[in-house]
Parts: sequence; C-alpha cells; structure tokens
Amino acid sequence: MAVKFFGQFLLEKGTVTSDLLLKAVDLQDSINLKFGEMALDLKLVTESDVKRIHHAQRSEDLLFGDMAVKLGILTGEQIGQILEQQKKTHLRIGEALVRVGALSAEELPLRLEEFRVDQAPYVTAQIVIPAGVSHPEVWEICADLSAKMFQRMVGMPCHVGECVLVDQLAQGAFVAGIDLMGGASARYFLAVSEQLRNRIARAVLTEEDVTGEPEEVLEDTVLEFINIVCGNVAAKAAQRGIELAILPPFSVQTGADGVKVPVGSYGLCFPLHLADGERAELTLFVKS
Amino acid sequence: MKKVVIADDSIASARQLEKIIAGADDFEVVAQARNGLEAIKMYQVHHPDIVCMDMNMPGMDGITALRTLMALDKQVKVVMVTSLGGVGDKFTESIRLGAKAVVSKPFEAEDLLKTLRGL
Repeated sequence: MAVKFFGQFLLEKGTVTSDLLLKAVDLQDSINLKFGEMALDLKLVTESDVKRIHHAQRSEDLLFGDMAVKLGILTGEQIGQILEQQKKTHLRIGEALVRVGALSAEELPLRLEEFRVDQAPYVTAQIVIPAGVSHPEVWEICADLSAKMFQRMVGMPCHVGECVLVDQLAQGAFVAGIDLMGGASARYFLAVSEQLRNRIARAVLTEEDVTGEPEEVLEDTVLEFINIVCGNVAAKAAQRGIELAILPPFSVQTGADGVKVPVGSYGLCFPLHLADGERAELTLFVKS
Repeated sequence: MKKVVIADDSIASARQLEKIIAGADDFEVVAQARNGLEAIKMYQVHHPDIVCMDMNMPGMDGITALRTLMALDKQVKVVMVTSLGGVGDKFTESIRLGAKAVVSKPFEAEDLLKTLRGL
C-alpha cells in the first residue's frame, strides 16, 4: 500500500484496463488547459505574449503567470480569472473514465469511496510550519509521511514534534539526504541513531538479525527508506497540483562543524518521536 | 520457472526484491542491474520473462531503459517497481510506454508476486 492516484488504484484492482485509463488521461489532457493555454483561450494574451513570457522564463525562474504580471502582460485580476476558469473546466480522472465508458456514473461514487478508504492511512495530519516558508503544505506532507512510513514500513509508531527553525543540520550516527525539485525545492535529511538505522535495516531487508551486514548495506536501507518517503511525498504533492521530482538519495558527512543551512534557505527541523524512546530528526533546507 | 531480471540502484531494495521473487517456487532471479543501461545489457544476455525496473536510477533511468527495451522487443514484460509509482504522470508515462504494471513502494510481497504471476 502506498500513495496512489485514482486511476492507478482502479487499474490495480482490475476495474479498468490500461487502454481505457490512457484514453481517459488523453481526454483530460485535451480538456484541462495549462495556464498559458487557458490565457490564450480567454484571449487575455496573444501568441507573441506567450513567446515573450517563455523567453523571459529562460533567464528567471518564475511561473508563467508571475512572469506575465512582471512583464505587465497580465494583471492580478486576470490571473484570478484564468485560475477560476481552469478550476471550473477541470475534468477529474473519475469523470473522464465515465466519459470514455470505463466506469458507469453509478459506479464512480462507489469506487471513489473504496479509494478513500484505501488512502485513509495517508491523509495528512495537521502540522504547523513557521510563517514565511513557501509551500508549507509540501513540508507538512514530508513530516507527516515520514512519520507514517516509520509506522508502515518499520512498524514503529511515530509522532511528529513541533517544527522549529534551525541554522544547521541535526547530527546523527547516520544522515541520509535527498533533493526535492520542481514546484517546490528543498533538501530532505533524516538523521538516525545506529540503533534506529538497524531497525530500519531489519524492516527493509526483512531480516531478523542484521549484525553481519556490511555498513554499506545498512546505510543503503536508510537511503531506500527516505527514497520511498519522498516518492510518496511527490505523489501526494501531485494530488494537490504541485509537481515534484526527486533525485537519488545520498549519505551525508556532517563533519565536526555540522552542515549549515545555505543562505536563501530556511532550515526546518521536525523531531520524530518513535516507540521505545527512539528519536529521529527530519530536517528540510527549503529554498525561499 | 520464469526468469526475472531486477534493475535497482539500491542494494537494499534489490535485496528485498530478490528475496521475495527468488523465494517463490515459480520465479528465478537470473541477474541484477544497477542502472538502466545494465538492465538492457542483462536483458540481451539472459532474455528474461520479466524485468523489474526501478524508475529513479543514476545514469540511465528506468523510464529511458523501458523505452529502449520496448524498442528492442515489443513483447518484453517490464514491471516498474518504484517509490514514484504514485505520481500520476510517471505512472501513465510508464503504462503508455508499454510497462505491464507499476508497483508502488512500499508494497506487500504477496501483491508483488500476484502482479508478476498475472503477466
């Protein structure tokens, strides 16, 4: 069980075929216009405006709408109008599956309820992110799914403590990191004790005893753990319209001086309180 | 007995997959690859019935390797086993390219074997 999207859930259940699912996705793609396409459709921009915006985006990392406002092509009010129209015309995958004949209209609510039950373990809990940090919802998901995966994969109940701003990375016997990029950017770190690393290794390798395992393998289990956490974070963020890519995970050498939060980033630290008095530290270097 | 190639850069993940797959009476793991390019080479050497492919690997990634394998042999059975399986775009891209299934991590051993037996 993992974070999934509705079409995947139906395909795995054998409710729809891959051909019909792809047909429904194609229908969505033809109806759900991207921001720039919708702006064109509403005649709020011209083709040459779009070219100008795309050209400017090559030298400055801004979203289409933000760049259009910066260049004086669109007003804030027009941005709202475009977003509203996108929302109004958005075709969800369930409805698209009905339209292509993969599901009946009567069946859809039943399947959605099954999906809701399947995904209930991954509903995000309330976690407070300090004010001023961009994309707080993504970092809430990071903390929440880290805790849920400790329960799900390692079998250790986990409670997320209060998030605090930090200026350097928490120390641990082993620290694993992974980069999240795209609609939101951060470096994700998990610091664990040797004992907790071995608990993770036993769970990932499904071995009762890991004392004879090489260090490389033990550390790799923590890398795999955060890879799975962040893959599921990307899936959850995508459900909220934020596209994230993840790079392969890596081990971190903290050294005697520790690792400082880079200039222009926020350091968010979440203590993860685990069963048996164990504790891990999740730290995010979030680009502002 | 069906032959399986596992392609995963994570030693831990590859070990987990091997334990599950090789532990079943009807499958045999014939080779392991650490990236997409190695997976293609292993496929050409061993001609397995199934390739279990991670999506996110350094060097040639799983999606590129899937595309290449499908170009080499349209009958190849590739199952993407990945933490990114729940990302809608990645999932549909894999299915569109010809993957027979996408298994999201974390998964249960029985679910993975059921998927492999259903191919």
